[in-house]
Amino acid sequence: MISVEDRLEVEAFLFKEARLADESRYSEWEALVDDDMHYWVPLQESQEPDSDQVSILNDNRTRLATRIRQLNTGVRHAQLPPSRMRRSISNIEIEKTGADEYVVRSNVVLYEFRRQATKELEVWPARVEHKLRRKDGELKMFSKHIFLLNSEGSIRGLSFII
Amino acid sequence: MMNQTDTSKFPRYDKLITDARVHSSLYTDEKVFEDELNKIFRMGWVFICHDSEIPNAGDFVRRNVGREPVFAIRSRDGEISVIVNRCAHRGNIICQEDKGNTKALVCQYHGWAYDTKGALVDVPYPGGFKGDFSCHGLERLPLVDSYQGFVFASFNENAPPLLNHLGRATELIDRAVEMSPVGRIRLSGGWVRHQLNCNWKMLPENDTDGYHVNFVHPSFAQAIRSNYDEAVLDDEEGLKSLAKDWGNGHTELFFSPSYTRPLEWFGCAEDRHPAYTKALLAAYGEEKGGRILRDGPPHAVIFPNLFLGEMNIVRFEPVAPGVCLHVHTPMYLEGVEDDVNKRILRQSEGALGPTAFLLADDCVIAERAQNALQGKGRWLDLSRGAEREVVADDGVISSHLTDETPNRGFWRHYRSVMHPETPTSGESAVA
Repeated sequence: MISVEDRLEVEAFLFKEARLADESRYSEWEALVDDDMHYWVPLQESQEPDSDQVSILNDNRTRLATRIRQLNTGVRHAQLPPSRMRRSISNIEIEKTGADEYVVRSNVVLYEFRRQATKELEVWPARVEHKLRRKDGELKMFSKHIFLLNSEGSIRGLSFII
Repeated sequence: MMNQTDTSKFPRYDKLITDARVHSSLYTDEKVFEDELNKIFRMGWVFICHDSEIPNAGDFVRRNVGREPVFAIRSRDGEISVIVNRCAHRGNIICQEDKGNTKALVCQYHGWAYDTKGALVDVPYPGGFKGDFSCHGLERLPLVDSYQGFVFASFNENAPPLLNHLGRATELIDRAVEMSPVGRIRLSGGWVRHQLNCNWKMLPENDTDGYHVNFVHPSFAQAIRSNYDEAVLDDEEGLKSLAKDWGNGHTELFFSPSYTRPLEWFGCAEDRHPAYTKALLAAYGEEKGGRILRDGPPHAVIFPNLFLGEMNIVRFEPVAPGVCLHVHTPMYLEGVEDDVNKRILRQSEGALGPTAFLLADDCVIAERAQNALQGKGRWLDLSRGAEREVVADDGVISSHLTDETPNRGFWRHYRSVMHPETPTSGESAVA
């Protein structure tokens, strides 16, 4: 069991991370990320991170930095203007895996208004697994794995932070 | 349609397509789309799969040929059949999984069973079945052929041989597989299905359009240094890459003249993969092996639905006039160290698919174009660089990277397929 204080702190982190992603505040979102970050959207539910199977997205810390840099250029057409987004997080289960480490499993439904081109509302339901650690008194995430329900179906452009 | 006095069944492609322009209705008109499904995707050759996807007897993969669900399956004798995925009894989907291995195909509705070549072998409650087993097999595509392991098929038993369709472009496929020291690729990485709400023809057009890169991909150019800095992002005088029309609708952006050192195309130092370098030189000799190491893979479209996307293989799938899929997998090489294939995988994830540094931007640009082409429509200009093209002895047309030579080549072939001199008997097959 984790303490109520731990739970509140982890939930507050998740909600902040979601808000910064929803609002396309790329650099503020990146400030929540630790140096060994793995940001991943696999193609298959049972996929292993190091398999030879292609992923929809598979960023180590360096590639994630490039992704943020590209979004921050202001000429990334896929996010010009940025999608309007809101995501709801529920069914949050927190497991303490070390003195200051947590694995957090949740369900997320993201609503995206694609105002760059087609002006449609897209829905992105997913199972999400965060790995967090406390560093210098603050939580940082070092892993975020997003298992899209329709990952093996047809996927629309996904150029925002999911 | 623009031509109100025309009472013929099909749009007048000879009027809608000239060497200098094409009409926007070709991207939006439902009649054009249905006609393409018949004349291009049923009557012509279509890329289905690579034989490395189904290496063993009983292996199968599901695919779509236009709107037709099919699957490719390997039999015990090694033959690959491409079979319509529809039970001969009441039309149910017979092969439900996307891929797998099976000894027989059993319909889940009434239990009719077929062998791996589609022949009917069992009918439950046989007392009521008075038919002839040999007349109730699954529908096999009459033509299946392969080149370098790339399996193509056609619904049209009278289509000319595959090698006629590929023409000179066999050289492009050769260049792709010769990236492997043993001349074999392996498509075992899984396929990502990226949906774009635009017409399918924007995919082959854009994938071999060298003119858009500076304008659609400036964020990529600013965020990361890559081999594309030299190959496609230089100014007009500095660009050494070429745009090519190989005939029969096959087109290429030829980046190799931009590369001056081995493995530049791979985005790494020339001594980064010494075992791979050594293996290629040993397999092909110093001259040809050295050229492969310097030139890199092709960036080319094989009409109508295969893109040799450097170290990726892509299938184009038409879904509706304004919807299509760009489906990709990494092009793994046989006979190389794991670190080479690992680099191919990571680059594939970076370049292609919904989240990619490149394709996500192309996607939005294409969807905006589709939106702009609705309604009465207009003419789209295709004339750039027509006066500076060079025709080689083998007939391949080359021009400046930014010229619309590939687009003209695509549309010239498209027009010849869609508007043959004599009307075809395609009417009955139009859905």
